[in-house]
Amino acid sequence: MSIKRSQITRLPLARWLAIEFSAIVILSLLWTIESRLAGCSAFVGGLIFVIPNAYFAHRMYRYQGARNARLMVGNMFRAESIKIALTAVFFAAVFILMEPVHVPALLFTFAVMVVMSAVLRFLIRPQPRR
Amino acid sequence: MEMVFIAASIIIGLGALATGIGFGLLGGKLLESTARQPEMANQLQTKTFIMAGLLDAVPMIGVGIAMYLIFVVAG
Repeated sequence: MSIKRSQITRLPLARWLAIEFSAIVILSLLWTIESRLAGCSAFVGGLIFVIPNAYFAHRMYRYQGARNARLMVGNMFRAESIKIALTAVFFAAVFILMEPVHVPALLFTFAVMVVMSAVLRFLIRPQPRR
Repeated sequence: MEMVFIAASIIIGLGALATGIGFGLLGGKLLESTARQPEMANQLQTKTFIMAGLLDAVPMIGVGIAMYLIFVVAG
């Protein structure tokens, strides 16, 4: 049985991504005042959050509507587990592959992005299509 | 050195446990309320999405700190 995808909600993914990328660039520029390595680490820390989060938003809104409630919840669980796994893998990759890394800049930018993303979702909510 | 790995595993384990409980409750309530009022499914999904972002904020930071402990402090 094939399940039709219904797009009831317009997800402002592009707007969220634009605001988050702007915040990453601003934070990276602020960290660049300390050193170039800190700026680079801050940018990477922001990307570690934004990429899994974008995947989570995309995956969670794959199915919509009451008919697809079961698929909706199943996709939410899968999206969350993949998001946490991706974050852990990205952190491990950065700590192994990126040899000189400014850890405070990386973790600070990551933490700021986590808080900012939650606030952003409150401020710019997905709107229903009319 | 072993204590660092134990600390990292406790951080990841408790974070995963709390997120699992939270998401279980959230998903259960979403299914329940969607079954009760199917016309509200769209708005309920949006609210669930917003709450999911708040729910996994602290475990995500925990994962970052645990990876730092494993690969930088212990490694």
